[in-house]
Amino acid sequence: MGEWRIAAAVCARDLRIELRTREALLAMGFYALLVMVIFSFAFSSDASLTLRAGGGLLWVAFLFASLVALDRAFLREAGESSLVGLQIAPASRAAILAGKFAASYAIILGLEAILMPLFAVLFNTPRHADWGGIIFTALLGTWALAANGTYFSAMCAHTRQRALLLPLLLLPVSIPAILAMVQATQVYLTGEGMANYWLQLLIGYDVIFTVLAWALADMVLDIE
Amino acid sequence: MASTSSLRSPSTWVFAATLGLLIVSLWWNLVGAPTEATMGTIQRIFYYHVPSAAAAWTALLLNAGASLWYLVRRSPVADALALAGAEVGLAFLTIVLITGPIWARPVWGVWWVWDARLTLTLAMWVMYASYLILRQLTPPGSLQPRLAAALAVFFAADIPIDYMSIRWWRTQHPSPVLFGGPDSGLAPRMLTALLISMAAFLAVMGCLVWLRYRQEMARGRLAALRQRQLLLEES
Repeated sequence: MGEWRIAAAVCARDLRIELRTREALLAMGFYALLVMVIFSFAFSSDASLTLRAGGGLLWVAFLFASLVALDRAFLREAGESSLVGLQIAPASRAAILAGKFAASYAIILGLEAILMPLFAVLFNTPRHADWGGIIFTALLGTWALAANGTYFSAMCAHTRQRALLLPLLLLPVSIPAILAMVQATQVYLTGEGMANYWLQLLIGYDVIFTVLAWALADMVLDIE
Repeated sequence: MASTSSLRSPSTWVFAATLGLLIVSLWWNLVGAPTEATMGTIQRIFYYHVPSAAAAWTALLLNAGASLWYLVRRSPVADALALAGAEVGLAFLTIVLITGPIWARPVWGVWWVWDARLTLTLAMWVMYASYLILRQLTPPGSLQPRLAAALAVFFAADIPIDYMSIRWWRTQHPSPVLFGGPDSGLAPRMLTALLISMAAFLAVMGCLVWLRYRQEMARGRLAALRQRQLLLEES
């Protein structure tokens, strides 16, 4: 089988498991919703809050939810020596990692598609908000989270305390991406400022870290 | 096998020289350098703050280089150097992060600002702390150095992008008025104090890395010997 077909098979398998169990989507969805509700208490939400910090609110909710999904990406492999099965498959580690990445990317995007309208309602986003721009930013930003997250999730799969370690590794490395997606989303929400720089930064970040994760896939996805 | 703790060993003389340099720099920092006109005595923390930062960056650069070397060659020497660099670098970063706010409070009026350089230093501290945590949580064996090297390369790629993005973010808002920095005319005696202090801190950093590296290599040899002994007992 070609590399791409292996990647597609891994991705299809993960998505099928997700669609049958709906584990990640349910857990993530409620988690993100809770984060949004807690925010509205914590910051006594009114329309001015959305104008000041809407991008940050949206992305913190997405970020925490993504951590749940990314942790599950390799948690799924822990049982029944499934990871060993993946590793003896006649494919490069990069192809397997790419498949896992594609599945996580799709799952997180699916979640965001559900949460964005909820966000718009709960936080009264302004009428002139540019949703096309916000969705484009989400596509790029989620790519960064899913690519780095899959890589680190594979790394953490070998360790004790996996769930603790994943945010510790992922969040500091993601600082530029988080900054860029929050700022770009904020620009599209309020219509003030320029988003171009931030989108360029996000695209550059996506390219660099996707290539790096692809090149180093052998390092993180292997058994003794 | 290298002889340990013998007076003839060259490392003993290097350690002694480093100690001497530290004492000389202490005199220069507290007495030799003139008191700064506007900030007063508190400015002397400068001679600890800046050299610690230089030592931290050098040690972390060593970590990045050694990690890359490990990825290419898989050599245990590279892994031990990477570990030593990260540990010592983190220790010096901690000094930077402690002396910084102590200096900032009386001079800027605040403990902390989210300026590009400060934010990056804090982010780096978190990164290398998590690097050491990863090493601790990974079972020993060939897996641990491999994961650590893969992580360190990610960090090394991330730090320049981090710095750039945070600067963009901050230049969008007016940045707080920081004082002009040592470049704006450092008195000659201050420069002497700074350079001596810099040399002393770099030497301390080098000694610590060397000790930690030796320790790590010895640990590896010990583990290999134990394993061999177990195998011999079984057979």
